[in-house]
Amino acid sequence: MRARRGAGMIVLECALVLAALLFLYPIVLIFINSLKPISEIMGSFFSLPRRFALENFSTAWKVINYPRLFLNNLVITVAGTAGIIAVSSLAAYKLSRTKSRYSWALFIFCVMPMIVPFQTTMITLLKLAKTLRLSDSIFGLAAQYWGFGAPFAIFLYHGFVKTIPRELDESAIIDGAGPLTAFAQIIFPLLKSVTSTIIVVDVMWIWNDFLLPLIMVNSSKSTRTLTLAVYSFFGQYNTSWQYAIAALVLTIIPAIVYFLVMQKYIVKGVTAGAVKA
Amino acid sequence: MEGRGMKTLGTRRYTILVFLLFILPAVVTIVYAFYIPFVMNIFYAFTQWNGIQKQPSFNGLDNFKEIVREDNRFGASAIFTLKFGVLYIVIVNALSLLLAVLLDKKLLTRNALRAAFYLPNILSLVIVGFTWKFIFTLGFDFLGGATHLKVFDLSWLGDRHLAFYSILFVSIWQSIGFYTVIYIAGLQSIPGDILEAATIDGASPWTRFLRVTFPMLMPSVTSCFFFSLISSVRLFDVIVSLTGGGPGRATASVTYDIYTEAFSNNRYGYATAKTLIFFVVILAISIVQVRAFKGREVEV
Repeated sequence: MRARRGAGMIVLECALVLAALLFLYPIVLIFINSLKPISEIMGSFFSLPRRFALENFSTAWKVINYPRLFLNNLVITVAGTAGIIAVSSLAAYKLSRTKSRYSWALFIFCVMPMIVPFQTTMITLLKLAKTLRLSDSIFGLAAQYWGFGAPFAIFLYHGFVKTIPRELDESAIIDGAGPLTAFAQIIFPLLKSVTSTIIVVDVMWIWNDFLLPLIMVNSSKSTRTLTLAVYSFFGQYNTSWQYAIAALVLTIIPAIVYFLVMQKYIVKGVTAGAVKA
Repeated sequence: MEGRGMKTLGTRRYTILVFLLFILPAVVTIVYAFYIPFVMNIFYAFTQWNGIQKQPSFNGLDNFKEIVREDNRFGASAIFTLKFGVLYIVIVNALSLLLAVLLDKKLLTRNALRAAFYLPNILSLVIVGFTWKFIFTLGFDFLGGATHLKVFDLSWLGDRHLAFYSILFVSIWQSIGFYTVIYIAGLQSIPGDILEAATIDGASPWTRFLRVTFPMLMPSVTSCFFFSLISSVRLFDVIVSLTGGGPGRATASVTYDIYTEAFSNNRYGYATAKTLIFFVVILAISIVQVRAFKGREVEV
């Protein structure tokens, strides 16, 4: 009985490993083909490169201005995520500590936008952004993410603050600390687990986001994000597949590196975020 | 000491001031990102507006009349989205639950396998769409020439029916790992002794899954249904990169239709009327879904 069960497990394991390899094969194919000249891509799609066509990468690198756009992505993602954490932790803490009807109504007001798809309001948002000069700018785009990320972040923080005893911040204030200092030094460090969930979820979201950058910053080459550059690359060089997939690989690499480094936190963060919502 | 005395004197005003200091940054950003555009949207839905003119002209219910009476595209995109949504929600949940059950077993390569199936989820949907466009176009071309199999000669992106299934397939491929992770977390939260007790009572593995595991998994099922519903109504990025809404308008989702109406046709006022209808429908679906799942969850 036990031996048969063991054999069954081995068969299952082999089948799953095979399935996983097949599952990831498209990504492998992109990587292999990005190193081949176009004639080899067309002629022998599944073979390893006979000649390494590194010029695919140097061309793609230059055409999309990779270092610049990478920096754009980094600035938008870091400033966006940091802002979400700052405004949301402050608000959620105060809303959770204040027991009144108004406080509850404000909490609902803050988290309600969570359920509404972005496409519902994108047209008038663009008009508003233009009026306030937040469009066509990297920092303007980053700041807009604060309002989009805040509802979910407030939701998560609000639930967690309840589990922190009031005595902690009250005693700090009695000892003479101002409310902001008490929050920053006593409460915020205790919110670490929620903060890391928000970082993991929002970094992936903002780094990969397409539609908001498309309507806000796509008009100038210098304000684009990596995904936007690949998008316009595929539009322009529709037949030059070798450069297009080299550009694709250049945008996939940072995401995979991030995944490999942060894997443990990503799975934990995604689960925590999803289950609470 | 003096500071504290002042606090007690002007306590109420001070409390309100501190309260505002903490919540205003969030409220301002949310009002900017959602509430102001939302209210503007309601206003513009009753106007004719091309996005450039300063003053949109009020045209009453004309936009809504046109949507209902003349706009075949919007109806077609709604049917497309509905069909996609139903198939996507059912298939992605079934497959990821199955995968979660398998990956929850004591396998040697368990962690590597979980990572492998999760990986596509960290890539942007646009990138994923282009990746598959490359495979469907050049890869299938090559396979068709080499094997003469009919599957590879079919136009997976150019035929209206096949393009639908290509979009469905790519969307599932990208997101299955996400749902699997949630289901695995759900499976792990089920206490082992309950399953053991069921086994001792003579329950077969299948009965055990249906009668014990699945009911206790309801919180995960609720989350996964919610997320798959949200992502299917928002379907946009994959379409942009994989088919561009084509062939013709065959794979245009509601959001894609709204996008092109506003930003390609410059009919901003008309497009906002569509978003308003879209919003009302989403709201109705959300309410129904919350009602349907409420009370189905089993407490441990």
